[in-house]
Amino acid sequence: MGVLYLLSLLLGITCMLLLDHRFRLFFWRDAKAAAIVTAVGVLFLLAWDLAGIRLGIFLRGEGTIATGLLLAPELPIEEPVFLIFLVLCTMVLYTGARRLLERLPARQAERERENV
Amino acid sequence: MTYLWLALAFIAAAVVAGLAFARLGARHGETAKHWKAVGIAFAALAVLTAVFDSVMIGMELFHYDPSHILGLKVGLAPLEDFAYPLAGVVALPGLWMWLTRRRGAGAKSNLKGLVPQAVLASRPVSWINTAYPFAAAMLLTTREIDWVLIVGTFYFLIPYNLAMYGINDVFDYESDLKNPRKGGIEGALLQPHLHRPMLWLAVITNVPFLLVLAFAGGPTTWLAVGVSAFAVAAYSVAGLRFKERPVLDSLTSSTHFVSPAVVGLALAGADVTPGLLILLAAFFLWGMAAHAFGAVQDIEPDRQAGIGSIATVIGARRTVRLAVVLWLVAGLAMLATPWPGPLAAIIAVPYIANCAPYWNVTDTTAARTNVAWRRFIWLNYGSGFLVTLIFILQWSLTS
Repeated sequence: MGVLYLLSLLLGITCMLLLDHRFRLFFWRDAKAAAIVTAVGVLFLLAWDLAGIRLGIFLRGEGTIATGLLLAPELPIEEPVFLIFLVLCTMVLYTGARRLLERLPARQAERERENV
Repeated sequence: MTYLWLALAFIAAAVVAGLAFARLGARHGETAKHWKAVGIAFAALAVLTAVFDSVMIGMELFHYDPSHILGLKVGLAPLEDFAYPLAGVVALPGLWMWLTRRRGAGAKSNLKGLVPQAVLASRPVSWINTAYPFAAAMLLTTREIDWVLIVGTFYFLIPYNLAMYGINDVFDYESDLKNPRKGGIEGALLQPHLHRPMLWLAVITNVPFLLVLAFAGGPTTWLAVGVSAFAVAAYSVAGLRFKERPVLDSLTSSTHFVSPAVVGLALAGADVTPGLLILLAAFFLWGMAAHAFGAVQDIEPDRQAGIGSIATVIGARRTVRLAVVLWLVAGLAMLATPWPGPLAAIIAVPYIANCAPYWNVTDTTAARTNVAWRRFIWLNYGSGFLVTLIFILQWSLTS
């Protein structure tokens, strides 16, 4: 039974939360809204997974780095964890990009003022 | 082609939702920045997907039925896999913008410090006391580690304690304020503006797990999970306040520690034997003794705050003596269980020795039992060690 994949995902989630914490992006900006976005995102993508499994498109691998524990046929325990990571990564990238976009003009304006 | 159609259906849903949220949620002049940020995020996600999806497929974590995919690939990742991050990045930031639309630039989150407070309030030093009974009961019965065991152990390790102590600290705020003992290892004062968020946190972190555990078991599990959750809430919520009803307080507190084991046994479908019932009864008596003894040190602050407990009603001396007797009976009961259960009788001895010096304690000297209470917290780790050894012995005897 391998836990490498699960541990990597948890490590990835931790890193996203550290970025979130450091720059006050998502959960550390509005915990309630972030919880709703995460729940909606994970449930939406999980429904997609289940639809794909039902249609016989997605097949679980026999990789040795996975635990092999299943929540449902072809749905390993790692999948919801991966989806949480994907949603966090998406939202950290988006909120981070927004932060950069907001800052750029402000900094330009500052520089212009200094040059005057 | 099936995957492509599936992906297009979900992307279509995401696009509709994303456009609607962006329209409703964007403040003046925000729309352009929103979609620019979405574009930047997707560019980064696409690169990450190309790399890590290939790695994950290369490690054989999952694969696809070749007849269902287009066959166009980036690295090892089928083109359709990029639909996941695309759908996420189109819909979710819009939802976020809509949910946070009322927040002014200067508005500070009033939830600051909720999570650290909640963790401190849940007494991490005692988390193991509820997770261990569940995990041990279930593992010793099923003899295998499955997802129910992992999910349940995590639940009884953290969310369960967040609810139990979080709810408790919210409704105990008044008396905690007068008790200098709170605020460290044994609990924390909870700021009033965090009371409502704390109760919400308890609900959000507990309900999904309770539903999953109920889903994983039958009617017996529903009953056990129901009793467990009820005991957590009833102990301290206004209106019930079992912690202020003498005897019922100790019974409820003990249920907090024994019910995880019962949930584990129910999920595992354990056979109900006399030996098992005696074991659970002994554990229950141990829990009652622990609660009663713990209440002695708080007699003064509890009385000042007008809070009742087994100790304020029957007095310090009789409560200490009751605890000693309960531990004694628990130890003796273990002698009646099948081998190697009787070995566990020895565990009662350090508890009795720790508590016995206060045999003649009075209500005015009751606060001194805090010294023994601090030792008690660490005694539990020693007992857990001995219990584990006995479980390993039991495991090897029955395999």
